[in-house]
Amino acid sequence: MNKVVHFLRKSWPFLITLILWRLSVSFWNPAGILALTTVFFYSFVKPIDWFPLFSLIICFLIDYRCNLPLFWTIMYCLFYTINGFQNYIDATHVSKDGLYLFMTFIGFGFFILMFSGSSWGVVLNNLWLFIWLSVLYIPIIALDKRISK
Amino acid sequence: MNIDFFAVKVIRMTKDKLSYKLTKILKSVLAAVAVPVFIIYIMIAKPDYTIMNSLAHIVLPVAHFVGSVITWPIRVIGQGAAWIRETSKIRLENKELRVKLDEALSNQHTCKIAIEENQKLEKEIDIKHASPFKTVIADIQFDDSVFHHNTFLINRGRKSGLERGMVVVSFDNRLVGTIIDCGSEFCRVRSLIDANTNIAVRITGSDISGFLQGNGKNKSFINFFSDPQFVGRSGLSVVTSNISGILPSGIYIGDMKDEKQVDVLRPNQLSRVMVLKYNNSDSYK
Repeated sequence: MNKVVHFLRKSWPFLITLILWRLSVSFWNPAGILALTTVFFYSFVKPIDWFPLFSLIICFLIDYRCNLPLFWTIMYCLFYTINGFQNYIDATHVSKDGLYLFMTFIGFGFFILMFSGSSWGVVLNNLWLFIWLSVLYIPIIALDKRISK
Repeated sequence: MNIDFFAVKVIRMTKDKLSYKLTKILKSVLAAVAVPVFIIYIMIAKPDYTIMNSLAHIVLPVAHFVGSVITWPIRVIGQGAAWIRETSKIRLENKELRVKLDEALSNQHTCKIAIEENQKLEKEIDIKHASPFKTVIADIQFDDSVFHHNTFLINRGRKSGLERGMVVVSFDNRLVGTIIDCGSEFCRVRSLIDANTNIAVRITGSDISGFLQGNGKNKSFINFFSDPQFVGRSGLSVVTSNISGILPSGIYIGDMKDEKQVDVLRPNQLSRVMVLKYNNSDSYK
């Protein structure tokens, strides 16, 4: 039983990411984009072995569903590179579990995506997703802390 | 520190170790290399993205399957909630549809009545057109329905060309009565059961004539047969005669029920009649 619990705890980041991606619903979780929260958290704030590779696959899947060729995948790689080469900000020790960094990450992505469409609908949609992901980042991370204990 | 994870012995690196830092830099370099590679690929592969799509054809089903296995309890709950919501919605729709059904049935009854009325009117118009006389169709007005209808009103009058003395018949050309009074938009008709009715009639298939009189109590009798020896019997048909010059001859009145009584039409058996435009000079207008 303990082994099972241990296994579940260890595999939790992968499971929750896959769950968030799989439970895609239009408007609330289009293309499983909520998975970006855990992708970011377990890649930068609380790094886990092999998770970056898994994150790349998830980003690729999100991109494929969104019909955005490798957009979030490139964004992820870009952020990973920047994070790896710099020593100024230690993402593992930032306040609020890296909420602001996460907001920067997705904010930059959605800002670029705003230019993909010329209508106000696209702008509002991106704004909505930015707010929604930022808000949900907190409870999702809180859930992780609870399970880790 | 050794941990037993996925049954593989892994030596975890600490942040202080050089190997950790090198690994981190190496990973970053790989990621940094991946960025231009991906960008170049997008620029080259556009718009087909053959490699990307091929890769997705493998990765997506696998991820979808694994995700489906993991999330089945959540999806079951979600589907249950959706089912409850759908059921609730269906119930509301059902209520609305029942109301609409009731309205539709009500409309159907109205339509049915309209169709039947239409058929009746068509039939009446056909009869009217088939009639050799100039006729006027009129509705019977039973404002005095609590009383015996010895006389009754019809909703056509002088404006329709009706006059006193004209003959009122049913749509099967059976005598109903004669007009005794005519207003501009109505006429009073004396029925055959009225006590003042006294019209010349003839037994069909013979030259025997007589006078039909009502008793004011829903019955009519023939009196004063032209042949004193004649004895009436059930089944003989009676038609109008022009002896007195009041009515046109040959209009069917009814069959005899016994020696004297004739089965005539009563106003309460009708709702609409035809008025034959006939004048006292025995000619139709």
